[in-house]
Amino acid sequence: MRIEPIRAAGGRPAHIRHDDDLISAKGVSVVMARQLILQNIDLAIPKGSFVSLIGPSGCGKSTLLKVLAGLVDPTSGSVAIAGLSPVEAARKRMIGLVFQDANLLPWKNAVDNASMLLSIADKSLSRAKLKARGQEMLELVGLGDSAHKRPHELSGGMRQRVAIARALALEPAVLLMDEPFGALDAITRDQMGQSLLEIWQRTGKTIVLVTHSIDEAIHLSRHVHVLGIKPGRITESLDVDLPYPRDLSVTEDPAFVRLTVQLRTMLRAGHQPGAAS
Amino acid sequence: MSDQPVTSLSEPRLASGWGAATGSWLPAVILLLATVMVWEAVVRIFAISAFIIPAPSEIAQSLVAQWPTLLQATLVTAGEILFGFVVSVLVGIAIALVIVRFDWLGRALYPLVVLFQNVPKVALAPIFILWFGYGLAPKIGLILVIAFFPVTLSMLAGMQSVDRSLLSLMNSVGASRTQILFRIRVPHSLPNLMAGTKIAATLSVIGAIVGEFAGASDGLGYVIQFASTQLDTALVFAALLLVSVLGIAFYYAAEVLERIMVPWAPKFSGA
Repeated sequence: MRIEPIRAAGGRPAHIRHDDDLISAKGVSVVMARQLILQNIDLAIPKGSFVSLIGPSGCGKSTLLKVLAGLVDPTSGSVAIAGLSPVEAARKRMIGLVFQDANLLPWKNAVDNASMLLSIADKSLSRAKLKARGQEMLELVGLGDSAHKRPHELSGGMRQRVAIARALALEPAVLLMDEPFGALDAITRDQMGQSLLEIWQRTGKTIVLVTHSIDEAIHLSRHVHVLGIKPGRITESLDVDLPYPRDLSVTEDPAFVRLTVQLRTMLRAGHQPGAAS
Repeated sequence: MSDQPVTSLSEPRLASGWGAATGSWLPAVILLLATVMVWEAVVRIFAISAFIIPAPSEIAQSLVAQWPTLLQATLVTAGEILFGFVVSVLVGIAIALVIVRFDWLGRALYPLVVLFQNVPKVALAPIFILWFGYGLAPKIGLILVIAFFPVTLSMLAGMQSVDRSLLSLMNSVGASRTQILFRIRVPHSLPNLMAGTKIAATLSVIGAIVGEFAGASDGLGYVIQFASTQLDTALVFAALLLVSVLGIAFYYAAEVLERIMVPWAPKFSGA
């Protein structure tokens, strides 16, 4: 097995060609309440790739995801998603969002929750079409037979699947996920990760995952960007050269173990405030 | 949705069903009966005058003897409470919606509403009589000023407690403020709103009686005042009993309303 993690000083693996990048951030800095949250982030995310952003609490990885989603404006620098600003891209339904809390509407059943955002994004769709799309997405996430259950009848993992279905119903080009499995138990978390990989391979979406789990980052993603704290910045990047399709047995692969050690070392280095990358 | 838990995943319901209720009410009923018996015994043993404290049996006699008058007064008061309650809830909801939907109006209105809350509402009763006469209007006005506030406050709390990331989701697909208000905030606020509505139901009873005290020629409040000037304390207690029955009836009506309006309530018991 060849493992050749490529690190570049600018935070971007040198081999990525810019033309293929669906998302590119250039010199993004964010200042909030007179604090430098993110400093000079350069990021290039190729179309169809699975990228993880990993870092300690307070490194600004969630803020970075919000910048990519157009929910936070960068103080300086710019972000382009397929040549559009994040807000324009979101309006064109190119961005699907999943947060740690599924945030389902308790008064709607699973299928109506799955089509809820779509119904706002595209007012021309009939109720029947919305239901059909919701059902289709629930089937994609493995909840086809739970369409009429309300959120309180679903487990935490199932609720998060509905949240993923709701994001996918928009037919976005990119899924931005902020610690989507952070509140789940270890076993459910592994299953959800595996399901996400399968959905990724079936749909060809570009996925950006914010996580603080080293195993999750390596199990799922093709590229991992490590963020350091104070200020939040990309300190290192790691390419995960494990072949897809991957399943949970990949975690026993010696290459996997070596990558986790490598990533842990990188994280530790980024944990020093203001440390040079 | 039915009251039965649909699956084992449902949260256990609070002991509010009829089956659970009869069991949990039993100690209260026993205590009540014991109190009534001790009351009767004390009044008889110490020969307490009926116009100081009438025995329960005397209250019951008065209730039967004056039943046509009391029934009529009860219906009048019940009508005032119902009308006033509905108006209070509607006005309370309208104020909450305006405060949330229109920023500048909300910033202007909210402090005034809170300030107004510090006015002792009971003291407004004579003014309302002066303005609106002795009919239904002053009672409705009084109930409104007493009862709208918990409705507004609880609905505001519900509408403003929507999770930020849910709002982020809505914003990312370009949802308008009105869409967020009616598709997310209002349904999200229903459990809170229903809690406020139950408080408003209780306050409406108080508002109606205070209104009748201040000036009326009918209703249970009027009966209480009239009977006390006649030193007919048994009749005062009989009327009080009926006021309490009205209070309980309106409270439970509000609770039934809650169960109809918020069938997804299990979610809020801990999920």
